[in-house]
Amino acid sequence: MITTLSAKTPVIVQGITGRMGRTHAGLMRAYGTNMVGGTSTRAMPEGVDGMPVFASCAAAAAATGAVGSVVMAPPDGTRAAVEEALAAGIKLLVTPAEGVPVHDAIAIGRAVRAAGATWVGASNPGLAVPGEMKMGFLPDVCLAPGPVAIMSKSGTLSYEVGYRLVRAGLGQSLWIGVGGDAVKGVRFADLLAPFNADPRTFAIALIGEVGGVEEEEFSDVLVSTPHSKPVYALIAGREAKEGVAMGHAGALTYGASGTITTKTERLTAAGARVFASIESMIQAMTADLAAHRRTG
Amino acid sequence: MLLIEADGKALFRAFGIPVPEGVVATGAAPMLPGAGPWMVKAQVPVGGRGKAGGIRKCSSADAVSVALEEMLGKRLKGHTVEAVLVEKIASGKEKYLSLSVDAASYGVRVIYLAGGGVDVERAAESGGAGMVCAPDRGAIAATLSEILTKDPDRAALIVLGEKLADLLLTRELMLAEINPLFVSPTGCIAGDAKIVIDLNAIERQPELRATLEARPTIYTDAIRKLHEGFDYVELDPNGEIGLLTTGAGLSMMLIDELTARGGKPLNFLDIRTGQLRGSPKRIIHALTWMAEHPSLKVVLVNIFAGITDLAEFSVLLADALEQTPQMRAPVVARLVGRGQDVAAKTLAERQPAMLVTDDLEVSLAAVARLIGRAA
Repeated sequence: MITTLSAKTPVIVQGITGRMGRTHAGLMRAYGTNMVGGTSTRAMPEGVDGMPVFASCAAAAAATGAVGSVVMAPPDGTRAAVEEALAAGIKLLVTPAEGVPVHDAIAIGRAVRAAGATWVGASNPGLAVPGEMKMGFLPDVCLAPGPVAIMSKSGTLSYEVGYRLVRAGLGQSLWIGVGGDAVKGVRFADLLAPFNADPRTFAIALIGEVGGVEEEEFSDVLVSTPHSKPVYALIAGREAKEGVAMGHAGALTYGASGTITTKTERLTAAGARVFASIESMIQAMTADLAAHRRTG
Repeated sequence: MLLIEADGKALFRAFGIPVPEGVVATGAAPMLPGAGPWMVKAQVPVGGRGKAGGIRKCSSADAVSVALEEMLGKRLKGHTVEAVLVEKIASGKEKYLSLSVDAASYGVRVIYLAGGGVDVERAAESGGAGMVCAPDRGAIAATLSEILTKDPDRAALIVLGEKLADLLLTRELMLAEINPLFVSPTGCIAGDAKIVIDLNAIERQPELRATLEARPTIYTDAIRKLHEGFDYVELDPNGEIGLLTTGAGLSMMLIDELTARGGKPLNFLDIRTGQLRGSPKRIIHALTWMAEHPSLKVVLVNIFAGITDLAEFSVLLADALEQTPQMRAPVVARLVGRGQDVAAKTLAERQPAMLVTDDLEVSLAAVARLIGRAA
């Protein structure tokens, strides 16, 4: 699903008449996303900024053929909104809400899996195919088409990396913000195969955080992937306080669980290069990918 | 987030899981439960307390008093010991039982280990142990039943496991772990309790919220988040660098990079600039908490504005600094993104002493200089 996204993919915003929904629907359309409308509990026959507003996902999907949805729902309303989208046949869901309860996320994950759909989030800035489209609110200043596929738990840290890649004359082929929650949709390990199969991608940037086992799962998949594209990894949270979630619900260490030591060891053993600072990672990528730099 | 053991055990008791008789001491020696020996355990939300010196076996009341004196108020793995649990010692065969949310399968992982010991925990956490099943009571019970097929204590353990399942599902926990679980002819008793709650579900779990609110000195960070709506985590009360930052990942990375350069960050902060809504209140609160620490030498502001308008943020920052006169430390601001030029102009007028840059490396070097370290 993710590698076939393009400027043609029809996308809706669930909750398009809200402050955030309306703003980002406009920004996504301005970037190039094929915004075909949105849903709202408020009747707005005149539409929003030229985009039609429907009373339900079913109506929106029937009228527009929407494939993707950016779910602008509050955290405790995300589960119901996703279930509505799945019932309408939506195949790709991006849920930026921060604070979705873990047991709701389990239910969402099971429903998405049963429907054969793809879920990106929650607690994430969304995804982008730079130069083509974006779903969510990755800042345009960080986006440029290029050789690096990004997967990230963190929004802001990935902005910093993306921004410096662009300034270094590099850009991104695909950018998936998997989000900072403990239980989520697409995970790091799910993305290695599609990134390796994507012809625009020449390097993979993994931006992880302490907590959970996603980096370890990714390492396991990387070990069993011969001739993978090179993986550059940055893991935040070496100095995280134990027992307390560091902003992201998933960034929680306790005992030996979720610490940076294990993640670094496993990734390194699997062949990834793990960096201690943003700048050192950018410098290595700039040197290694010199042949892919934009000129002029 | 992790609960302290005493609160985890209160949850166990409420769901019918036996725990040793005990009392929580926060000052002078309490009335001791029964006759010794007792276990004296520092109540900090971390794993590996035993190895860090936070658990002691005491056979006399005097020894308990000494242990309390030595533990209370001390730092243990980044936390101040505000409370100590004194319990009657429990015994029996040492087992391990845990139920946890399994993120990859959207289910529950059931782990039972018939051997005991502190390192069992490590074995279980390093992955793959146990079995996963659907997140419902019936599936958990069936899985336990399968794991325990040949166990001599099967009947008692299944009863206990069902209670643990009720607890995990009803309270929407991420982890409910008993290690060690003592099994003897008189029954099962939980020697320890490791409970990870989901702070995102707290609004529909009023009992858990009450548990946190009852211990403001222990769950300071979590309570602050519940009341303020953003994350401020105190890392080191003697820290030198206050962080005024947005975004969890980038803020953590900054802390790592500053520490690697010899700096001592005071706090983690994800202020969420997108939620300021034109009010300097959050910034004022964060600056106020930082200014309470005499060790503070510099404040580093780092905002990568994708959506946030820095022109607006810079006004809020200047307002907040004017309303926080007790903040005397110099401020270094790295502002990049939407509206950065207007923001730089605003701050040059209203806070002329502030170093404003759009380059993160420049700001990190300035911080290093201000705390007296080479960059």
